[in-house]
Amino acid sequence: MIEVKDLSKDYIILKRKPGLSGAIRSLFIREKEIKQAVDHISFEIKPGEVVGYIGPNGAGKSTTIKMLCGILTPSHGEIRVNGVVPYQNRKQNAINIGAVYGQRTQLFWDIPVRESYELLRHIYEIPKNDFEARMKHFTEYLNLGPILDIPVRQLSLGQKMRCELAASFLHNPAVVFLDEPTIGLDVAVKENIRKFIREMNHLYGTTVILTTHDMEDIEQLCQRIIIIDNGSILYDGDLVAVKERFGHQRTIHFEMPQTDHFKLPASLESTVDVAEITESRVSLLFSSRDIKGAEVIAIMMAEYEVNDLTIKDTSIETIVKEIYERGI
Amino acid sequence: MRKYIAIFKSQIQITFAYSAWFWASMISAVFQLIILFYFWHAVYQNSDTIGNMNIKQMITYVMIATILGKFMNGAGSQLAGDIRTGQIATELMRPYNLLHKLMAMDLGGKTSDFIQSAVPLLVVAGLFFSITLPESLTAGILFVVSSILGILLAGVFDLIIGLLAFWTINTWGLRILRNAIVLFFSGSLIPISLFPPSMQLISQYLPFQSMVYVPVSIYTGAISGQDAWMAMGAQLFWIVFIYAVLRASWSQALRKVTIFGG
Repeated sequence: MIEVKDLSKDYIILKRKPGLSGAIRSLFIREKEIKQAVDHISFEIKPGEVVGYIGPNGAGKSTTIKMLCGILTPSHGEIRVNGVVPYQNRKQNAINIGAVYGQRTQLFWDIPVRESYELLRHIYEIPKNDFEARMKHFTEYLNLGPILDIPVRQLSLGQKMRCELAASFLHNPAVVFLDEPTIGLDVAVKENIRKFIREMNHLYGTTVILTTHDMEDIEQLCQRIIIIDNGSILYDGDLVAVKERFGHQRTIHFEMPQTDHFKLPASLESTVDVAEITESRVSLLFSSRDIKGAEVIAIMMAEYEVNDLTIKDTSIETIVKEIYERGI
Repeated sequence: MRKYIAIFKSQIQITFAYSAWFWASMISAVFQLIILFYFWHAVYQNSDTIGNMNIKQMITYVMIATILGKFMNGAGSQLAGDIRTGQIATELMRPYNLLHKLMAMDLGGKTSDFIQSAVPLLVVAGLFFSITLPESLTAGILFVVSSILGILLAGVFDLIIGLLAFWTINTWGLRILRNAIVLFFSGSLIPISLFPPSMQLISQYLPFQSMVYVPVSIYTGAISGQDAWMAMGAQLFWIVFIYAVLRASWSQALRKVTIFGG
């Protein structure tokens, strides 16, 4: 479905010295700096796969996706999306792909959602029957019914994202790129969106590439992840393997009325570390392989008075950092 | 082609939806016509003809030219906005030619503008300011065709200005310059025939008089017969020429974007 071989992308950045003299200087002498946003990466994605493409900000995720969409021409290497070279056949590639960009809209700002879809039907030349069947399906799944007649500019973020998602799957593309599809949304909408993505993947065999900073998104949707940092691939493979290796660290914050005389219960001493003690909070760090979270909580509750607690998972950033420092 | 027609139709609807904007522009246009009427009456106080035109011809010319002049903008500012905000990336992921999509949108907007404002303004001008009808039926038909050509020409020209946003971040200054040049050399302010001979000569080699002066002069009969066909041929030439320049700079700009990443 997607073949990427030895792909690189260099940006040329024009450097400018600060201040007025720098501005004048730059009129005559232009200093160029080459930044390698993507550095000789290769991967292959099979039809129907849901792949998490993750990494910290500025790692080269967007650049890769833009090249897969045909908006950027690679400096080096080969790409094929559904048999098409994206930057050579941008319009042909456009029919094969769908995309949601968290911060940008692909709907038409001034007209009701329903008419936006109608317009997309013409733009993507979707047969009327297919269109209607899929619309019916999407309306049900994403609960679009009540918002179809509202102009896009009046929608809330959650409503807009649901509409965007439907728009990106409307022409039944072979591949869909989702860039931060759940950013800034509440739990219910996130859940709704994940369910929809799973369903589309299941029903139509749509290949999905997902970039996100939300560990939940990845755990619930992806079987495979590709981790990229500084333009190179750090890891490409099973999600389970990564989780086993890195996803076991947990932090629990206990909100307590009194922390002055806190001492780690004896039964936890061998497996749990005290990460931090403040006036009203104790944070404990442990590995879920050594001890279950529930057990830690039970022991703490038995020994101390606890008002509240929060459990923190390992974040993508931590995993990337660990892989970067220790390797896989 | 069907997709561009769908975009064209939807833009007609969108423009119809902005009724506040419509009434504001309508009222300002009526004021403009009133001012033109009294201004030219004052000018004609001491003479019967100016540059071979009597007052009736002059009023007819400036009113038609003013109304037509309202169609001399285009989708350039939309294109510039898309480039500046990065929205162009999403646009480039669609299976259409962005230039043609923008043209379809622009023509859709102009179609509804024509129905909602040009037609009423023409009626107002006819009833209260007694503008004359076209010279002949042929002149009337040629005027319509020539006006459409003029509007198309202005549209492609405007896209070139918008496209410059790829190289200069803000096209605001360029746009003001463009508006001044178009207002003056298109003949929407005064007929080109009133210009001094040297200016007339310069104007002949510029595309701008094809936008307003040519169609309105066909209407008033100042250009007729063989000359009218020649003038329309020139309009067609400019459209093709400027469109070719537009396409060439478009692919140049795209290469820049896709290779250098903006």
